[in-house]
Amino acid sequence: MKERKKIRHSLFSVWGYLIFFLTISFLVTCSFLVFILTLEIELGEEIRRSAILTFINVMALSLICAVIDGLRRKYTVERPVKRILDATRKLTDGDFSVRIEHLKAESRNEFDMIISNFNKMAEEFSGIETLRTDFIANISHELKTPLSVIQNYATILQAPELTEEKRLEHAKTIANASRKLSELITNILKLNKLENQQIFPNTKEYDLSEQLRECLLTFESTWETNSIDIKTDIDDVTVCADEELLSLVWNNLFSNAFKFTGGGGIVSVSLKEVGDFSVIKVTDSGIGIPPEIGNRIFEKFYQGDNSHATEGNGLGLSLVKRVVTIIGGEISVESGVGHGSTFIVKLRRSE
Amino acid sequence: MMKILVVEDDRELNRAVCSYLLQNNYEAVGVLGVNEAYDAMYGKFFDLIISDIMMSGIDGFEFAQTVRGINQEIPILFMTARDDLASKQRGYRAGIDDYMVKPIDLDELVLRIGALLRRAKIASSKKLEVGDFTMNAEENTAYLKGEEVSLTAREFNLLYKLLSYPKKAFTRTQLMDEFWDIDSSAGSRAVDVYMTKLREKLTDCEDFEIVTVRGLGYKAVLK
Repeated sequence: MKERKKIRHSLFSVWGYLIFFLTISFLVTCSFLVFILTLEIELGEEIRRSAILTFINVMALSLICAVIDGLRRKYTVERPVKRILDATRKLTDGDFSVRIEHLKAESRNEFDMIISNFNKMAEEFSGIETLRTDFIANISHELKTPLSVIQNYATILQAPELTEEKRLEHAKTIANASRKLSELITNILKLNKLENQQIFPNTKEYDLSEQLRECLLTFESTWETNSIDIKTDIDDVTVCADEELLSLVWNNLFSNAFKFTGGGGIVSVSLKEVGDFSVIKVTDSGIGIPPEIGNRIFEKFYQGDNSHATEGNGLGLSLVKRVVTIIGGEISVESGVGHGSTFIVKLRRSE
Repeated sequence: MMKILVVEDDRELNRAVCSYLLQNNYEAVGVLGVNEAYDAMYGKFFDLIISDIMMSGIDGFEFAQTVRGINQEIPILFMTARDDLASKQRGYRAGIDDYMVKPIDLDELVLRIGALLRRAKIASSKKLEVGDFTMNAEENTAYLKGEEVSLTAREFNLLYKLLSYPKKAFTRTQLMDEFWDIDSSAGSRAVDVYMTKLREKLTDCEDFEIVTVRGLGYKAVLK
């Protein structure tokens, strides 16, 4: 109601129509006068008699104009404005599911543009809204587990009779849990950004082979401590893509590969140009993925093996998938239990 | 004892970082804001600065710029929650030397501080010493056990880069920055050739070796 009161000078008030009517009457009268003057007849008795008729004529013509204009306004302006107005009211009241129907399928005037922009905006809003609810449901468990570990061990640490050895062990557990928590939060924030905002990739041509090498080198200490063997077969390939986004992909794929490859295993990375695509394969010799799980590993919070649930946070591969989708590439996985897994990313080659 | 200034507005984190640095034999001074940092620096000389970005009043970028304006040498390390590329770029443009994203691993912080201080020392003295092997960047000369080792300018630059960051592996392309006049495919082969030559010339050296990292690149490992 408050909003309604705010409209002081409505575009569709009676006053508006009256003014239009009077203006038209004035114009019609003027044209009549001009017409009569050009006829150059004497203003005698005859004209006086037909004055009333002329007046009625003027009124009728003006009325027809006013009604036609009124109808035109009603259908082309008032209707869409009402719809938009109602929808904006609902949106401000917090109903994000509101969408405005288009007036006509074929025509595209300014109102249609406003409507489609409004719908896009409402979609954005409801996207954020769904994420908020889904997110809370999904995440609370993942967040609370490490948090309770930290809390519990911090309590245990306060006991005075603890041996030095135990104390160290508990402190390490706390450090690990908080590291996990921080990784999870980082991933949540990144995924949140990627999923719920329109991302405009900063695309330019760059040396993909070099990026893979540099990224792989950051895991050097991991493979050295776990004595994992590295095999690389990286051709010199340049791609046209967003370098920063893609670095997320390699980082996650490599860290997964090392995570699931035990000591003495092999991780291999290859980059080849096949047809129109640059194909990147990351292979580990880890536990593999059962066929019934297959592509579900790209779903949020899905983890291949419950016994390994402590290793990751179930968001890394969703992140990877999301980025690859944004960039317009493809990702797939080939795996067999006990034979390791191969993740294959295909990027369209730059022309 | 090396003196480190920690600029961080979270009291607890500041205290944790300072006490961990103390445990690792650094003298750490913690301040909660940039203005306090200026006060602290007015009366004392520091070897390294650790700074947050988002602080009330003056932020880390401005702080880094101001410090760089006065002192070109002092290593500055950003310790921040912002992990986007734009912030990193802005930081490096403001003249910082390293960037860590919160929550930080304190062990890693100490390792990085060690590397930063080492590099700062090399940069200011223009000299690099590894056991019996010394390099002088001003004269482009290298000595092994007192005897000069003749190195070409490129060999010298490559070795200097590797030894400035011991244990850090470089890809051929990263090393090739020294050969900016060569196109990339020829360049990466050139790096292999230079490495072979360097190894030949340094067969007598027992203090470090140049290690090939599985087809990815090279690193210098101190013994």
